Amino acid sequence: MKQMDVTVIGGGPAGLAAAISACKNGAATLLVEREARLGGILKQCIHDGFGVVRFGEKLSGPEYAERFIDELEKTDCEVRTLTFVTAVKQRAGGFEVHLVSRDGVETVFSKTLVLATGCRERTAKQVAIHGTRPAGVFTAGTAQHFTNLLGELPTRKCVILGSGDIGLIMARRLTLEGAAVVGVYEAKSTPSGLTRNIHQCLHDYDIPLYLSHTVTRVFGEDRLTAVEVSQVDEHMRPLPGTEEIIDCDALILSVGLIPENELAETLGVELSPATKGPVCDGQMMSMADGIFSCGNALHVNDLVDYVSESGEAAGKYAAIYTGGQRQLLDVACTNDFLYVVPQKLNLSADNSETAVYFRSREIVNDCRLVLQIDGREVFSKKYRFLRPPEMEKLTIDFSKYDLHPDSEICLRLEVARV
Amino acid sequence: MNRIERINQKLKKRFGDAVRCEEREGCRYMTGTLASWQDVVAACEMAADKYSRVHVVNDIQCREATPRPPRLPSLRDQALEGDTPDVLIVGGGISGVSIARELSKWKLNILLVEKEADLALQASGRNDGEVHPGIDLGKGSLKHYYIRRANAMYGRVCEELDVPFRRVGQYVCFEKGYLKPLVGLYCAWRKYHDGIEDTRLISKKELRMREPNFSEDFRFAISNPSSGCVCPYGLTIAYAENAVMNGARVSLNTAVLAMEVQNGEIVSVQTNRGTVYPRLVINAAGVFADDLAAMAGDRFFSIHPRRGTNSILDTKAGHLMHSIASIKEISLQKTHSKGGGILHTVHDNLLVGPDAVETWEKEDTATRRQSIETVFAKQKKTMPRLSQGDIITYFTGVRAPTFEEDFIIEPGRKTKNIIHCAGIQSPGLTTAPAVALDIEQMALAFLRQQKPVEKNEAYNPKRKGIPVLREMSDEKRSELIRQNPDYGVIVCRCEEISKGEILDALRSPIVVPTVDGIKKRVRPGMGRCQGGFCSPLVASIIAEEMDIPLSQVRKSSAESVVTYGKIGG
Repeated sequence: MKQMDVTVIGGGPAGLAAAISACKNGAATLLVEREARLGGILKQCIHDGFGVVRFGEKLSGPEYAERFIDELEKTDCEVRTLTFVTAVKQRAGGFEVHLVSRDGVETVFSKTLVLATGCRERTAKQVAIHGTRPAGVFTAGTAQHFTNLLGELPTRKCVILGSGDIGLIMARRLTLEGAAVVGVYEAKSTPSGLTRNIHQCLHDYDIPLYLSHTVTRVFGEDRLTAVEVSQVDEHMRPLPGTEEIIDCDALILSVGLIPENELAETLGVELSPATKGPVCDGQMMSMADGIFSCGNALHVNDLVDYVSESGEAAGKYAAIYTGGQRQLLDVACTNDFLYVVPQKLNLSADNSETAVYFRSREIVNDCRLVLQIDGREVFSKKYRFLRPPEMEKLTIDFSKYDLHPDSEICLRLEVARV
Repeated sequence: MNRIERINQKLKKRFGDAVRCEEREGCRYMTGTLASWQDVVAACEMAADKYSRVHVVNDIQCREATPRPPRLPSLRDQALEGDTPDVLIVGGGISGVSIARELSKWKLNILLVEKEADLALQASGRNDGEVHPGIDLGKGSLKHYYIRRANAMYGRVCEELDVPFRRVGQYVCFEKGYLKPLVGLYCAWRKYHDGIEDTRLISKKELRMREPNFSEDFRFAISNPSSGCVCPYGLTIAYAENAVMNGARVSLNTAVLAMEVQNGEIVSVQTNRGTVYPRLVINAAGVFADDLAAMAGDRFFSIHPRRGTNSILDTKAGHLMHSIASIKEISLQKTHSKGGGILHTVHDNLLVGPDAVETWEKEDTATRRQSIETVFAKQKKTMPRLSQGDIITYFTGVRAPTFEEDFIIEPGRKTKNIIHCAGIQSPGLTTAPAVALDIEQMALAFLRQQKPVEKNEAYNPKRKGIPVLREMSDEKRSELIRQNPDYGVIVCRCEEISKGEILDALRSPIVVPTVDGIKKRVRPGMGRCQGGFCSPLVASIIAEEMDIPLSQVRKSSAESVVTYGKIGG
C-alpha cells in the first residue's frame, strides 16, 4: 500500500493551495482530483476578478488556477486526476483512502487528510419549486458549464432565481451571448451576492433585480415555457394574489451553496450547523484528529483568494501534524454573526497568527467587533459596514492573551442598526 | 326496488335531476351535467359496486373539467406502415412490458408501442415501488386474486431480470392499544382466508427494536415480512429488454391514434408511425385504457385519474428506517388506494408518500407544494424525525382506477381481438408478473383459434443488467476496469456512476439516448445534486456516442431541448 503523509482530496483552488503548501512543508503529498483537469470550478469561471487580494490583479478563473497549477508542477506532489475517492477509512496512525480511476481500484495510506471538496449548488427541489419537470431548469453553475466549458447556449430567454454571485455572473454572461435575462428574483429583502457583482453584472446591463420575490411554479411539458413569480412576505412565504406569469425558456437558480462534506460525515467529522462545514481549530483541523478542511468545504467563501489562503494553512498544518492531544477552547460568538471560523482554538498549538473568518447575520453600519476573553475586552475593530454576502477576515494573535483551559472567548458586535 | 332504482334515488337525493344512471349491456351509464369534478366522482362512486364486473361508464358532462387531449409525440413517419404483428401491445408500463416478455416465450410477432420517449414514464415510473403483501384487499377482487401469487413470484422474476429487490417487510402501526385484540383477530382471519402465513402482530417493544426511529406513540404493529421494494422503472425497463432480447419489438414515441373496427374485430390500428394490422391488441394503456377501449368499439368502463405525489429523501436520511411503514388511522371515511407511507428504497433513499387526489387530467404530473405538506404532516406521525429538509426531489404520478376500484383483466366484450389489462393501480406493480401470465394464456387461447402457436425455442428468461460498480468488491471492480477503463471514470459523483456504465446504457437492448433515459437506467443525476454537476457531462457522452451535436441531445421528449447550439452562433 502506498504511504503518504498528506492526501488532499479535491483539486480546486483550496486543494491546489493545500497540496503546494503541504509539499513545501516537506510532506509526501498526494492530490486527488475527480475531473480530468485541475482547477475545480475555476475552470468555468472565465470572468475576471479573481486574485485581487492575493495578487493585486484581476485574473480570470483559469488564469488564477494556472498560477497554482504551475507552482504545483514545481513541487514533487503526486497528482492523480480522473481519480475518485470512493471511501476513506480511519486506521491506526492515519487513513486508508480508496481510489478508483482508469487504472482500477487502489488503496493509499495517508497520515493526514485535507478535505478540499468544495461545495455544490442548492437545487430547484430544495427550494420547493413546483410544477412540471421540463428541460430548462438549471443551477447557475450548470448553465455556466454548458456555456463556458461546452460552448453551448442553455437559454434564449431566462428568469434567474436567487441573487447569489454565480447567478449574477451568469446574468451578465448570458446577456453577452445574446440571451434575454428577464430579471433576477430574490426571495430575501437584500441581495445575496457581492455588491460589486450587483453593479457590474446587473446595473451595467439594465437587468432588473426584484427583491422579496420568488418563483412559485414552473410550466412546460417538454422545454420550460414560463414561470410564475410571486412576491413574498418577510418569512419568504409567497403572497397570494401577487402571482405573475413570465414567458421564458429557462429558470436559472442561484439559491445557495452547500459545502460538500459527505466524505467527512462518513468519518464522523463534526459539522457546524452554521457553516455546514467541519468545526475546526485555528490550524484548520476538524474535530477528528488528522482531518483538515479548507476552502468552500469548510465554509462558503466570497473570494477565491480566501479559499487559497485556508488551503495553504490546511496543507501546512497537515504536513507538520505529529499527533498529540489537543486542548480545545470554544471560540464563541453572539447571534450578531452568521458564523465565525475557526470555532475552536487548540491551546497546544501556535495561535499567534490565527486567521478568523466571519459573516454578520444582518447588514450593519458603523459597528465595532469586540473580542472578549473571560468577560474582558481585549481587542476591537471598527467596521463602516458589514454585509452577510461579504465575508470578513481578521488575523488575531491569541498567544498574547494568556489563554488557559477555562478561558471563555467570545466575539460580539456593537452595532448601530440601520 | 332494484339496484338501479336505488342508485337513482340516492343520486336524486344528492344531485337532484342533474345525473342519472342507466344499466345497458352489463354497464352502468352515467349521464347528466355537474359543476365540479369531485361531484362527478362522487356520483359515479354511488353507482359503482366495489369489485363488480358491471362497470360504471361515465358520460357526465362536467363544467369544470376540460380535459386536454393526450400529449402526443411530434414524430411522424411510416416506420410501422403495413406492419402485421400477431400481438400489438399498447402501453410501455409495467403491464405492457411484462405481457410482452411472457408472450416472447412463443414464436409470435410482438410489437409494443409507447407514446412517450421512454418506458415507464407514466404511473409505472411514478409510484413508490412497494411490493405489497396483500393484506388489506377485499376478497373477490382481482387485486386479491393476484396479489399473493405475484408477491411470491418477485424473488424469481427479479433474479431472472437482474433487478434489485429487497423483502424489507412492512409495518402497519397503530396508536390505539385497545385495538390490539381486534387487529389480532383480523390477522388470524387473513391467514385463514388469504393464506398469508407470515403476517403477525408485534409489540411496541419489538417494533422499537426493529425501527427505533418510529413514533413512541405506536402501541403495536402488524408486521408483513413478505413486503418488499423494487425500483419500478428499473423493473419495467428490465422486462422490456428481456422481451426485446427474445424477439419482441418496442417502438417508443408511438401513439395509437385510431382503430378501424369491422364486425366486432379490429382490422387496423393507426399510429403516428403508420398503420399496423394486428391479429390481437392488448390494452395496457394505463390512464388511457378507457379511451383505447372506446377506439376499439369496446367501451365498458371508465377511468377516473387519481394523482399521487412522492418525495425522495437524501440517502443520508436512509439510516432512519429500513423497511416500509404505514400508519393506520381508524376512520369511517372511505379511502381508496393506500394512505401512503415511508419506504426505504432499493437505492437507500427514503421515499415518502403518496397522497391521493382525484383529477380529471390524465397527465397532470405537475407537483404542488400542498401535496408535500400534507404527506409530511401525516408521515411525521410515523417517524417524527422525518424532515422536509432532506428532500432531494419529488414527483407526481396519476393512477388509473375504475370506479369499481378493481383491475379489468379480460378479453373484449364486444370486440373479439382485444384483451384489456386496465384499471391498473396499486398494487398493480406487485401483481404485474402474475397478471402477465394470465394474459399470456388469454392471448394464446385467442391466437390458437386461428392457428397453432409454436414455442420460441430460443427464449431466455434471463436478462443481465448493467454492472453496478459501486456495489462491487475492489477485486471485481478492478477486474472490470481492467477490461474497460471507462468503468473507472466517475461521471456522477453523488451516485458514483462511471462513464462505462453510461456507455453500457447507450448500448443496451432499448437505447434511449436522452439525459432522463440514462438517468433511469444507470442513475446519474439521481443523487443530491440532481445532475447539477453531471448533466452536462452525461449530455456530452450521449452526443459523442450517438455522434450528434450536443444541441441535439434531449432531456426526454423530442421537444425537450437542453441547449440551443453553439454560443456566438
